[in-house]
Formats: sequence, C-alpha cells, structure tokens
Amino acid sequence: MNVIRGFATTFKHLLEEPTTLNYPEQVRPFQERFKGRHHLRRYDNGLEKCIGCALCAAACPADAIWVEAAENTDEERYSPGERYAKTYEINMLRCIFCGYCEDACPTQAIELGHEHRMSFTDRRDAIYTKQMLIDPVPEGGRETPQEVEPGVFTRPIPDMENPL
Amino acid sequence: MNTLQEKYADRIETTLAKYPDKRSAVMALLYIAQEEYGWVSPEGIQDVAEVCDMDPTQVKSIAGFYTMYSERPKGRFWLQVCTDLPCALKGAEKFHHDLKEYLGVDEGGTSEDGMFTVEHVMCLAACDKAPLLQCNFHNYEHLDMEKMKVLLDQWRAEVNAQVNKS
Amino acid sequence: MAEQKLVTITIDGKAYQVPAGENLVDAARNHADNQIPVFCYHPKMAPVGMCRMCLVEMGTPERDPNTREIVHDEDGNVKVRWMPKLQTACTQTVSDGMYIRTTTDQVADARNNVLEFLLTSHPLDCPVCDKGGECALQDLTMAHGPGKTRMVFSEKMHLDKIVPLGDLIVLDEERCIQCARCIRFQDEIVGDDVLAFHERGRTLRIITKSDPGFDTYFSGNTTDICPVGALTTVDFRFGARPWEMTSVPSIDPWDAAGSNISLDMRLDRDFGGRAMIKRVMPRQNEWVNEIWISDKVRFGHHFTRAEERICAPLLRNNGNLNEVSWTEALDTVAGVLKAANGDIGLIVGSGASNEDLWALRQVVNGLGSERLGAWPVTHTGGELIAQVGVGKGTNLGKLGKGDVVLIVASDIEEEVPIWRLRIKQAHDRGAAVIVANARKTRMDDFASHTFRYEAGKAAHWLADLKKSAPEAAEAVKSAANLIILTGAEGLTLEGHAALMQAAANLLIETGHVGKPNNGLLSTFPGANGVGQYYLGYTPEQSVAMAAKPPKVLLVAQADMLADDPSVAAWLDKVETIISFSMLPDGITAKFAKVVLPIQSFAERDGTFTNGERRVQRFYTAQGPMGWSLPLWQIANRLGEKLGQGKAKLSAAAVMKEIAASVPAFEGMDYRALSKVEKQYPDVGGASDSYYYSGTACKNTGGLGVVIPTAADKGETVKAGEVKLPAVPKAGKGEFVIIPSTRLYNREAQFKLSTVVHPRVMVPFAEINSADAAKLGITSGDVVQISANGGSVRVRANVNGGAPEGSVVLPRHLTDEPVPMAITVGQVSKV
Repeated sequence: MNVIRGFATTFKHLLEEPTTLNYPEQVRPFQERFKGRHHLRRYDNGLEKCIGCALCAAACPADAIWVEAAENTDEERYSPGERYAKTYEINMLRCIFCGYCEDACPTQAIELGHEHRMSFTDRRDAIYTKQMLIDPVPEGGRETPQEVEPGVFTRPIPDMENPL
Repeated sequence: MNTLQEKYADRIETTLAKYPDKRSAVMALLYIAQEEYGWVSPEGIQDVAEVCDMDPTQVKSIAGFYTMYSERPKGRFWLQVCTDLPCALKGAEKFHHDLKEYLGVDEGGTSEDGMFTVEHVMCLAACDKAPLLQCNFHNYEHLDMEKMKVLLDQWRAEVNAQVNKS
Repeated sequence: MAEQKLVTITIDGKAYQVPAGENLVDAARNHADNQIPVFCYHPKMAPVGMCRMCLVEMGTPERDPNTREIVHDEDGNVKVRWMPKLQTACTQTVSDGMYIRTTTDQVADARNNVLEFLLTSHPLDCPVCDKGGECALQDLTMAHGPGKTRMVFSEKMHLDKIVPLGDLIVLDEERCIQCARCIRFQDEIVGDDVLAFHERGRTLRIITKSDPGFDTYFSGNTTDICPVGALTTVDFRFGARPWEMTSVPSIDPWDAAGSNISLDMRLDRDFGGRAMIKRVMPRQNEWVNEIWISDKVRFGHHFTRAEERICAPLLRNNGNLNEVSWTEALDTVAGVLKAANGDIGLIVGSGASNEDLWALRQVVNGLGSERLGAWPVTHTGGELIAQVGVGKGTNLGKLGKGDVVLIVASDIEEEVPIWRLRIKQAHDRGAAVIVANARKTRMDDFASHTFRYEAGKAAHWLADLKKSAPEAAEAVKSAANLIILTGAEGLTLEGHAALMQAAANLLIETGHVGKPNNGLLSTFPGANGVGQYYLGYTPEQSVAMAAKPPKVLLVAQADMLADDPSVAAWLDKVETIISFSMLPDGITAKFAKVVLPIQSFAERDGTFTNGERRVQRFYTAQGPMGWSLPLWQIANRLGEKLGQGKAKLSAAAVMKEIAASVPAFEGMDYRALSKVEKQYPDVGGASDSYYYSGTACKNTGGLGVVIPTAADKGETVKAGEVKLPAVPKAGKGEFVIIPSTRLYNREAQFKLSTVVHPRVMVPFAEINSADAAKLGITSGDVVQISANGGSVRVRANVNGGAPEGSVVLPRHLTDEPVPMAITVGQVSKV
C-alpha cells in the first residue's frame, strides 16, 4: 500500500510543470531591489553624474572602490561643477554588493544594476575601470569631455527640492 | 610720480597735512582719484596706494566699502535716486523706473551717449522732498518726469555747449 | 621665568585654576577640557569676535552692597549675577571670580542660530570641497547646528566659485564665512597685508590687488587656517580627500629653519599606483616653525617623484653614460678610489643628511684622506656657531620687549622665510630689530633701525659698531637678550668668516652667550649647513680643493657648476669625478665617470641639523625612484667593497654610530629625536577642529634635540681676532657684483615644481639709477653681466636698491651660473 502511495506521489509530479528553469536559456525575473554590477550614470546631455567625491569609496566596507578626482574646465567638462572622477575603479572580487556606495552617492551617479554574471580568469580583469562602468551616452547627448558654454554647469549637485 | 601726484600735487599735499599719518588720508585721496578718472579706476587705486604707502588691496577694500566711491565707469552725470520706504510712498519707485525707461538704461547702467548713469541708493536724508535724486552729489528735489526731462535736456545742452566751445 | 599668577574661574559649576590674563577660549580648553566652538578666533592671532560662534553665558558673583561680601543662596551656593546677553568668549580674558556657563539652552540656541546664519548662503557642496572631512564648519554643524536647512538653494547668495588669488591660491567666494583669519594672518603674522575684504554684507568678498596677486611667501598657510574650504591651493586642489591620506613626519629640505612638516601621502595612478606626496602640511613645533611653513616648502615637493630623476647607476663609456648594475658601479668606484692612493677629495652639498655626511666621511677617511669640503662656499664660521650659537632653549617666538635682533648682510625673507616671519612678530612684540645691509631688503620694513654699509664691508661695520652705528651699539649694550643673525650677501667667504667672528666677539663682550634667546645665528644654505660643520666638513676645504684639485673627487648632492662660473675650470683638472646625484646636472652631464643615484628626503630616513643646531628627524614617506639608494647606504656599501667593515642596515644604526663617535651628537639616537611633548596651542586630539579649526598637524614625529654650544656647557669662550678681508674694488668701467638669493629660483630641484613657475622672476639685476643713466640703461633693458669667467644676460631693474657702482645679481635665476660671492665684473647694454 505504501508503495503505491509513494509511486502515486512520484507520478503526480511527472505531470506538473517543473519549478526549475533552464538557465542560462531562461532567466528568472529579478526583484527591482536586486544588487548586481555597478553602473555610472550620465545626465541626458551626456555629462557624467559622478563628481569624483569618493564618498562611495569612503562608505565601502570592503575597500573595493578607488576614485581619483581632477578639475573640470568649461573647455573640457566631464561632469557639472568643478570636480570629476579621473579614475574610477571597482574591484569586483572585493565588492560584496551591499549597495552602500549607492546610498552614499550625493548625485545618484553610481547604481547597482541587475547584471550578475561576472567571472574572471585573472585578478586584474576583476578591476572594472571607469570605461567599463559608465553608461553609454544617451541619445541627444554628447560624449565627455564636452566643450560647454561658460557659467552653465557650475553646480556639482543637482538642485535640491524646497526643503520646507 | 604717478598721474595723481603730478596733476594734484598741491591738493594731495594739503590733504596729507590734515592727517597724522599718510594712511589716514586715503579716503580724501580716493575722492581726488574719482574726480580725475571719473570713477575709482585701477589706476586711481594704484596712484592712491603709492601716495599713502599702502598695498593697493587695502585701498580697493576701502573704495569697495563706501558707496560714494564708484567702482565702475560712470556717465558724466551720476543720478542717484532714493527708493527707500518714505520716498517710495511718495512715488520714487515709479520715478526711478520711469527715469530708467526714458534713458533706456538698466539699474546702474549708463546711457548710450555716456551722459547719464542711473542708480538707486539708500536714504539721502531728504524724505520730505521726495521724489528726489542726487546728481554728482547735488540734490534735486520734488521731481517728476516732466521736470526731470527739462533737467536732462538742460544738462545735455550744457555739455554740448562746452564741447562746441572747445 | 616668574611663576604665572593663577585665578579661579567657574565653568559650568566647576571651579578651575587658570593663569591670569589667558584668553577664555584657551583657558576653557587647556584647563577645563571644555571646547568652546570658534571660527574666527585663532590662538596665534588677536581675537576679533567676528563669527559669534563662541557665545557663552558670563557672570560675576553678587555682592552685598554694604558689606561687599559675596551673597549666597539658601543652599549655600554663590549667587551669580549673569549678564543679560551672551558674551563672546574669545574676546574675554579670564579674571578672578568669573562664572561661565556653556551648556545652557540659551548657549545651545545661540550656537545653533549662528550656524544656521553662517549656512544661509553656504553652497553645501561638501562632496566636492577639499576641506570636506577636516572642516570646522562641518564639524561644528554636526555638533551644534541645525539638522536641516530652511534655505532654498536657488535663493542663496551665489558668488564666484573659482577666483584665483594670485598664482597659488584659489578662492571660493561662496564657501567663505568671512572670519577674516586669512586677512589677519597676512596682516598680523606675516606683515604682507595683501588680502582685504571688498564690499559689504552678503557680497563681502576677499580680494588681493598686489602685483603679483597675493604677493607673499606664506600664502599656503591661509588655506590651513581657513575654517572652511574657501581657500585651496592650486597644487592640492581636488588631489585627495583628507581621510584618504597618511601623514608622514618630515623636515623642510630647503633652508636652515628646518621647519617641521608632514608629507600627506596617498596612492595615485599618475605615479604608477604608488604612494605620492599629495600635499605638504606644517607640523607643529613651537620652537622652530610654530604652525607655519613657507610656500617654497609647501609647493616645492615635486622633485621627489620627477621623471627627470636618475633611476639607475650610470657609468661613462666612450663619453656616454650607460645604465649599469649597482655591483658594477660600486666595483668601478671602489677600483678608482683604491687606485687614487689617498689623493681623494669629497664635496658634499648642504642638502645631505647627518647620516650621509658621516657615512661618506668614513669612506674617505678610511682611504687616508681628510679633504672634506662643504658646498656651497658662501657661509662659514661653524666653529663659532658651536661656541656661541643661540643658547639651548632659544625660541624666536619668545623674543619681545627689551630684546634685540641684529641682522647683518642677509636678505632674510629670501634666505630663511620662517625666521623672517618669526622675527617680524618679535618686532611686533617690542623687540628691536636692527637690519644692516649694503642695500635695501624686505626686512627693512620690519626694522627698528636700518643701516647701510659699503658693499662687502659688513665685518668692518660690525667690528667697529660704536663708530659706524652708535645707535645700534647703544641698543645692543642695553639689550636684555641679543641674537645676531648673519648672512653672506655681498661677502666673500673670508668676509663672512670675519663677520661671524665680529658677531661672536660682540656677543661675548656684551655677555650674550650661553643663555636662551642669546647668541649667533647664520643663514647657512640648505637644510643641513650646520650639520656639515659638526661632521667635519668646511667650505675652506672646498676652496683648498679648487686650488689643488685631487686626483679623484667625490661630489655628493652638490650642483657645483650651477653655483659659480669659475668651478668648471678646476673640475676639469680633476682626473676622475664620481657623482652622487638625484637629478642630472652639469657634473653628471660632462664630468662624472660614475653617477650614483641617491634618494630624496622623502624616500628615506635621516636627520638634519637646522640653523639653531636642532637635530631633527625625517621619515620615509615615498617609495624609492628606480634603483636609487640613500646616500649613506651607498657610502656604506662602498665602504664594504673597500674592506672598511659591514654596511649598516638602517639610518638609525648610522645615527647610533654618530651619537657614539661625535661628542656633539651624544645621546641622539632616533628614539630621543622622536620624543614629543604637549605644545600650546594644542592642535592635536580628536576634537581639535572645535578650537583650532585648521589643518595643521599634531607633531608625532619628534621635536628634535638641540646640540649645546660650548657656552651652554659653561666653557669659557674667548673673543678672537677679526681678520678684515680685502673688499673687491671695481676698476674703471667695472662694477661690483653682489650676488643675492631669491627664494623662488631655477635651481635644479625647485625648477621641477611647475606650480610655482609663474612666481619665479624673469632673470634680472638691480642697477643703481645713476649708473644706469651713465650706461644709458632703463628698466627692462637686457644687459650682459660678465664676471668670474662667465656671463649672463638679464633684464635691468633700475628701481631697485643697488648701491652706486654695484649690481645686485640674483643667483640661480639664469641658466648659466652667476658668481656666488661678491666680485667685480663688466656690465654692458645688449
């Protein structure tokens, strides 16, 4: 009797749809909050949101981020304001994808996306440079560095909303 | 010897004599510089600094603190309209606005012919005579645009007459 | 010093004994551990009470009108009559019976409100601000300020964000909170009042109108004392965040002051991912530089990592220098030295550390030679410094009323700027500063008396002071403390020797020796000019070598060809020259058989002996450039090859040997040199920003140890004979050439700091207006000046203060060398 009950359970499941997915042909949808690989965002005009403040590096518990800053000029502008990230590197082997960098960023320049398939054959490959991290220039925007009109992009941080 | 020292040697000497040290004479000398250049120009600052034996930075600082030194080039007539509350109540704000419109200048700007500079100022201590303006440090009181136009024409005519003569 | 009178003040209900007359903010911090927040107050400057941040409640005990007894309440506590309004603590000095409250709601409210007011127009761009992380405004807002702003950003006052104040400092007008610290620093401490406020109210801004802008040698200090990020240096702008850097204690490598500095290091991709100097900051040493450094020290650090540095040993083959291994290079040198049969000379520049000097001397002495030359050959009289140098415990910052500083033959602002800054302040405190020179110098502006003597006759002037300057003689006679500071401007080596002797005699005769704040100082060039004497090197030996060149000459860290046109001729007569050099120079290019690359001060440990004979330690900050080695180590390895014993493993071991062998350095191992003690004003501690709110570094690297003079040790010192030298006389059609020093110049090391280039003068010479008229020269004309077998073309400056018949020619401004000592030459218009 027990044997029959056992097999009944087995055969019942034969007819059901499997719960596993055929990865990588099929991909499970991500939760919006999933934290994957980082992206450095741009404004619509192509300027980088990152201002090189290194607060992400300061917030990083794994010491995975390395930022070096330099000064913008109106002839060679990378981001609004005076400062931009000359070097921006994340060591993906160190990163624990906690998202603190995202929280620390005053301009929402760094965001953790959904890309999670990262593998390296060399430790050096695990260091993602600014070129790898930054988004492509959006349509209608220009590649950085841009030559811009003087006196337009004087503020590093987007306008605050009325705090009252 | 700079321009100021050459041109106003006597006046500089009498001015300096009034004060215990050179530095104290800086404000009086700045007026001389303003007279010479029409405004407190960088050359004027430099000249005064040399006379007073001060750094030009300090002279510039003093010129910047006091409103009766002009740090921008001015027209021949410097019209300062008081728009403080009592004057404003008597129509000075409108007068100031109309005057600018009539001369086609912005606040602090100079008319195209280089004649008039219009500026609003704080109290000129003659509230009872508002609207009033001060032209090259002389008061003209109880004004309206009609009177003003007459005055402006008169000043223009004076200058033209002078120019023609020379 | 007399015991200070103590008074009792009560802070937040607790009584404290504090010195009478102390500033209330200082007293609260030093004795009650109560950090009254400040922005505009700075312990080094007079209080002004501008920022209102230090508001406290203040009161005095109530007294019975009849009996004048202090009234007590029922509980037996003193009844205090509080003032109706809050008082600014920084403008109060403590007095007996003072009552202070700092923790009441009223005070907290005031602090909150002041901060909100200061922030009304502040851009709050902390993420991009260089001060972010070490900012007083940030810290105090966190501690006392409002958590939220009520100000809409677009409604804030917007001013310019990038305003260059001169070539070195950049002002952000929005961030400025108008505390006037920078303005007051320039006015009170430096005496170059080239900063001022412009306009008023919310448009109040800092301006400079001097030519060149912000014309001072101390501008960098304003960025340190700025409590916000309004002032930044072009060198460090956006270089790093403060929390990313590691401070390494070091010593100013340029002049005899030996300013204590911190090298703030951070890794950098531009330097191959290695640690590099991001900025140079002052390190507090109240005996030496207080909390100030000159701009040369702050901005002149680029040579330590310059591409021009020699990175491997070079050996000359068929006229070309080729890179070789250390083994090959050292074997070659050892071979050359052995073959010389003791006919060896050694000339070391004044930038070499005590360890280097000692280690090199061992090699040369081991080979039977005693020819140890110091370079440059301008200053001498080390033995007089050792006898009657400024007494142990001397502090220029303590000179005041009744004291006399006599400065002879020195353009001290250009030679040792920190001494000039401290003596200027001594003058402000009431000390008499007497300046004597052949021409007008900047120090004249801060002098009580100025004297002129004929070019080259400094020793004549001083030796016969009673006749040549009765006023000065009178002042010296009645001086409570007397410091004589000599330079070598317009003097030959013999002239300086005579001047030093005359100064020493005067000090001995008037009894101003062997006591603190009394004695002799000299502006020895380089960081270790005095150390050279103590380790047996003299300029006279260099002169002797020029007269009788050795077969083999070792030249260490001395750019000899750039110092005088006559050097090339005698170097030609030397058979083999071995150069120990950081950078390629004339010797490495033309003369050296072997070039051994040495490390800069930043790459290694070592000690310098400053002009006040203070032995101070510097630490390794940067990794080595290429295969370069510390000079002492090269010498030690060379010694090993020559069979003189095993090479030492560390600079500390070399110093230990010096301490054991040279009496002057007794007891000076690295441990003793790195001892620190508490200093006032206290810039250390976690909460220092509340008080000091600047970025000067606490001293953790050591205050150094002073070598005592003979007079200090109680030995009798005797006046010596002053051998007055012959003074160069200009013949017909000739001029006396007076070489002068410029702080910013084109020396090989300093040239590599490109940020300072706009401030380096175009080569010029000062000519007297009468002479200029005769030659038909006006200011700006190009003139050719020929002397000592060389000639240079420079622009004439007729407005300067050159005495008639002479030309003041600054050294190290031209590519070709100019004479280093007074001489005669021709001047012609080109």
